[in-house]
Amino acid sequence: MRRLLAILLLNLALPAAAADRFHDWWSLKPLVRPEVPRGAAHPVDAFLQAKLSEKGLSPSPPADRRTLIRRVHFDLHGLPPTPEVVEAFVNSTDPLAYEKLVDGLLASPRHGERWARHWLDAIHFADTHGFEHDDLRPNAWRYRDYVIASFNRDTPWDRFIREQLAADVLFPEEPHLTAALGYLGAGNYDSSAAATAPTQFEYLDRDDLVTQTMASFASTTANCARCHAHKFDPVPQEDYFALQAVFAGIGKGDITYDEDPAVQRERRRLEQLRLAVERMDPGVLLASVHEGVIVAAEKAHGSAVAWVPVVPESFVSNEGAALEQLPDGTLLASGPVADKDTYTLTAEAGLRTITGFRIDLLTHDSLPRKGPGRAPNGNVHLSEFEVRVFRQGGGTAEKVALRKASADYDQPGGYDIAKSIDGDPKTSWAIDPREGLPHAAVFELATPLTLPAGTRLTVSLRQLQGGGHLLGRFRISAASSAGPFPPVLPEDLERLLTKPSAERTPEERVSIAAHFLRQSTAEALAKLPAPSVVWAAGKAAVNERGVVALSEPRTIRLLQRGELSRPGAEVLPGALSALGGLKARFDLADPKDESARRAALADWLSDPANPLTWRSVVNRVWHHHFGTGISETPSDFGRMGGVPSHPELLDWLAVWFQDDARGSLKALHRLLVTSAAYRQGSANDPAASALDPDNRLLWRMNRPRMDADTYRDSVLAVSGRLDLTMGGPSVALFTSKPGPQTTPVLNYDEVDRNAPGASRRSIYRLVWRAIADPFLDALDFPDLGLLAPVRSTSVSPLQALALFNNGFVLHSSEQFVLRLEKSGGTREQQIRAAFATAYQRAPSASELARFHALADEHGLAAVCRVLFNSNEFLFID
Amino acid sequence: MNPSLSSRRRFLWQTGGGMAGVALSHLLARDVPGSTHSERPEPTGGPHHRPKAKRIIQLFMNGGVSQMDTFDYKPELARLHGQKLGPKEKPEGQTGECGAVMKSPFEFRQHGECGRWVSSLFPHQAKWVDEMAFLMAMATKTSVHGPGSYMMNTGFLIPGFPCMGSWISYGLGSLTENLPTFVVLPDVRGLPYNQKGNFSAAFLPSRHQGTIIHAGSPHPIPDLFPDGKHGFAGKAADAASLALLQEMNREHAGLHPDDTRLDARIASYALAARMQLSAPEAFDLAGESAVTRAAYGLDQPITEDFGRRCLLARRLIERGTRVVQVWSGPQGAVNNWDNHSSIVKELPPIATSVDLPIAGLLGDLKARGLLEDTLVVFTTEFGRTPFEQGSLGRDHNGNSFVTWMAGAGIQRGASYGRSDDLGFKAVEGVTYCYDLHATILHLMGIDHTRLTFRTSGVDRRLTDVHGRVVSEVLG
Repeated sequence: MRRLLAILLLNLALPAAAADRFHDWWSLKPLVRPEVPRGAAHPVDAFLQAKLSEKGLSPSPPADRRTLIRRVHFDLHGLPPTPEVVEAFVNSTDPLAYEKLVDGLLASPRHGERWARHWLDAIHFADTHGFEHDDLRPNAWRYRDYVIASFNRDTPWDRFIREQLAADVLFPEEPHLTAALGYLGAGNYDSSAAATAPTQFEYLDRDDLVTQTMASFASTTANCARCHAHKFDPVPQEDYFALQAVFAGIGKGDITYDEDPAVQRERRRLEQLRLAVERMDPGVLLASVHEGVIVAAEKAHGSAVAWVPVVPESFVSNEGAALEQLPDGTLLASGPVADKDTYTLTAEAGLRTITGFRIDLLTHDSLPRKGPGRAPNGNVHLSEFEVRVFRQGGGTAEKVALRKASADYDQPGGYDIAKSIDGDPKTSWAIDPREGLPHAAVFELATPLTLPAGTRLTVSLRQLQGGGHLLGRFRISAASSAGPFPPVLPEDLERLLTKPSAERTPEERVSIAAHFLRQSTAEALAKLPAPSVVWAAGKAAVNERGVVALSEPRTIRLLQRGELSRPGAEVLPGALSALGGLKARFDLADPKDESARRAALADWLSDPANPLTWRSVVNRVWHHHFGTGISETPSDFGRMGGVPSHPELLDWLAVWFQDDARGSLKALHRLLVTSAAYRQGSANDPAASALDPDNRLLWRMNRPRMDADTYRDSVLAVSGRLDLTMGGPSVALFTSKPGPQTTPVLNYDEVDRNAPGASRRSIYRLVWRAIADPFLDALDFPDLGLLAPVRSTSVSPLQALALFNNGFVLHSSEQFVLRLEKSGGTREQQIRAAFATAYQRAPSASELARFHALADEHGLAAVCRVLFNSNEFLFID
Repeated sequence: MNPSLSSRRRFLWQTGGGMAGVALSHLLARDVPGSTHSERPEPTGGPHHRPKAKRIIQLFMNGGVSQMDTFDYKPELARLHGQKLGPKEKPEGQTGECGAVMKSPFEFRQHGECGRWVSSLFPHQAKWVDEMAFLMAMATKTSVHGPGSYMMNTGFLIPGFPCMGSWISYGLGSLTENLPTFVVLPDVRGLPYNQKGNFSAAFLPSRHQGTIIHAGSPHPIPDLFPDGKHGFAGKAADAASLALLQEMNREHAGLHPDDTRLDARIASYALAARMQLSAPEAFDLAGESAVTRAAYGLDQPITEDFGRRCLLARRLIERGTRVVQVWSGPQGAVNNWDNHSSIVKELPPIATSVDLPIAGLLGDLKARGLLEDTLVVFTTEFGRTPFEQGSLGRDHNGNSFVTWMAGAGIQRGASYGRSDDLGFKAVEGVTYCYDLHATILHLMGIDHTRLTFRTSGVDRRLTDVHGRVVSEVLG
């Protein structure tokens, strides 16, 4: 409906000449559902056969069932059928056997694994950055799993677009979709340029995203308009920079999210509460909703412990700070601030029994930001808290064992109080960003100390963090009450709690609420399931430079000749102006809203009236089923791209996919593979070949060579060791050692081929962008420095050497033998089984004899090696 | 070279081990014109005009060679030494702010009839300046290693474009089927910045990508022979297996007539067998005389690795490899030309490691008559600043650097372009990678504007929309 409206509006709104200029190119024309030609019942065949008969051609006879099941298995799963499945299908009398086979294949998770590879190629997804520092992205795989899952659950295409470009804005209540934003992080990342040449880095990084987005979703080479108006297509430079503006506010890096919406809601609620606590927001803190928690916490806190100050007889600073005892008994440091220091206090133990010690850090006007520390921000780092006992008459000191430490507040990032009793002087307790407030910590003894009168104690306060993070004002106390001690409170709060609640001032109530809510939110946050992380791009992300989050998008200017040194007028976010039915520049409520820009592009692309998007996807799918697209260039529908062989069919498919299939890729797969065209034989016909040498009219089925991933997966499957474990971090099929810088040195030969994960499907392989696997390289695995919408199939002596001699093939040959021998039988039976498994057929008598002879002389593995190298194995009829 | 290794290679060569035993008879039966290692294959003509150069050896100095410490003599630096004359704001791509002007710690002298100034770092190359032509004012569009290396290798700042060697392979094809057409010899200490991205065929058919030869490894060409641990592979088993494979493939092709890809795969196995015969011999330096080895510096630890790879380069081009790229220096903070900390400490070792081998290569090529139709190019991804950077090192500088060419079609002793008095910016006769690539392609018989490949809607060129043949340095 929306589409029809757009066409009507277009015709009304545009003068005829402009409409012509915009729409005289096939891919830009509005989509109209063409009439299906008379003839074949299947619409795809009706279109194809109409063209064939125009040329005096006719389709080939159907492929036999053995050929067909092999073809459709490789196509939909990227794996060969097992001999049992083949025999069942070949012998089935069910008239719907093929349709049922297809439905079964589409329902299997193997299907998503196979088709995810096509999409990851088209958007140059890899597990590392590429460029100078080709570093690993350990969290990139979440996006790969998202793509597999999306294809398996058959996410409608428009929805797929919207999730990948703007899941965070468009589906905020489905946080697991954050993984989809991995689309925006799929490409190269030049960390070196990001650090040293940020302007050019951001420009080229946005360029890569514009190129990827427009090529993969709209089959448009918008990037060709970077330096000048597109020479061949109606893409002015303004459009290109409008697309750059879409991505002008993003940060690339790791994005953290919750898979479970309930967890996300809870985390958000707690984070908001945490912020309110930090703000000491009385509106939130004193809200009745929190009252119960606070009352319960206060009750649980119980009565205060009777802490008895340890009054020191002597107190010294190793580094010569002046320590002064104030009238209230606390110690205050002044004078030179050393980088590190240790204070030692000596006192007579006032108590006969000691079960714990306490340190109070207190504020003072003389300290930076009132302290309690002496660092410029008032922070303090306590590296070790140590107590020693000198018994009367005893010559040596005994170090008192401390069992447990707790504090009212721990600085995030690993500076918790336990660090002050871990014996490691490199770790410490600190209190940032809560300077300017009193704090306290309690240390429980492992066993109560019983001390005769006259026993002396020393307390060593080691402060070894550096940077002058030293104690400003503090007090040490001891207690003799039996543990465990209640949670620690700072001194002032401890006092407040002794006041009856009715007498507390509002400020006092806020202080108490803040304390207990801080504790309860921290505990609740710690209990939530660990969040997931994906390498992606969005409003904010974390990379090697820290948090990347622009306060507002960069201003994008049109650059003369694409040169940064020649900026022109500002360009606002938008897309192509050549599609009359769609607005070229976005109307955004808040033009500075980064996410809204992406959402607007997602809307523009997924709009039912966008003819590029819908033609693009059906052509891309067609390309993978038939070997060549209706347009031969799946990511370029411009004038330099391939003109469609069957424009009406392409349009019919695009409209059918949108209206009838509702964007269901599985419905589209089913439609295409059930056509007679797909099921016909692939044999050559010289007469037809003379008229249509490239088989553009599909008078026969094409005969593809296996791609690199299919080859590897099929060899694993045939040799009986394919591991079908799904998902999770990528599997390294190499060993690595540190390189000169952050990029490691990889060795693809020295790999344990029997290691766990080594025989998982290739989609789970760790793809190091610029250190390719030489074996898969030889079979044309693409360079993912760039978009690879089409795989090439080269032939070279190096490829022959790889297939004949690479350790993977040789090891697989040995594994195949183990599989064949496991089922026992004679050598002849084993060779028959090898043929059935690898070729899905029986050997001829002559083949049997020759393979038998080879096996007799050089072993059965030599037979397997020949099978894995043969054209019959590598080509799919 | 490891003696046991070379004897293994000799054994394979003498016995025609592996796939080759059967392949030879197979080849003879098919009457494929053969060639042995002693023949020098004749180059094909250039596609657009008669070539001057039939093959090229490119010496790539990874990290950014300091031009004012090597070939670009700047006496003004001594006068202005210590003065703060650089840009106030840190230029994009530099790792730090510009410090004070720093004179070169090395002595410069004029050499040859052309009177070219060369620093004391390159005493051996200095003897060859009358054979060289210098591009004294090269510039690039970045001062960051990754994009810089991409640009000098592929003509683009970003990944995804074929490198020059791949373009030449695509444009001219191979001179021999016995060896790869385009070979890359990385530093044994590691790959350069961008790793293998610099050698990618990108969107060109993958057979045009650089074959990486690990000169120090027991397996310089990957998968040339099966690992000995697989008892069913190697020697006689290979021969029997290949014979059956080729039979199977021919029978299969017979059932699928007119599919040239099937025939091509059959041929590829025959060619692989020939490569098994030829490659070990090509990589075996045992036959080289002590004089030759010394000329390349193989007898000295500092020059041994680069020298071995220069000598390998000569052997490869002699046997029909068309493009050889020899890299000096891996990525990283040390052992390359990226001398941030101290020019006086870091530059001499890396400069010494290449100087004698390069002179040895030029001398050897000349003596064998190969310099007449072989082009040798010395280049890097960018230059360095005339300023110190808070240390005695120099920072990245894409504004000016030096490249030289020697051999086929080059005007001997020529020089083109000039940088400013500090050597900070190229000011006259400025050339970019586009011009260098256009010139190299021109010498190889290719019009750079006509060597194209259509991908993603564009007829791509090595030189993008730029490039001028620098006729000023051509003979």
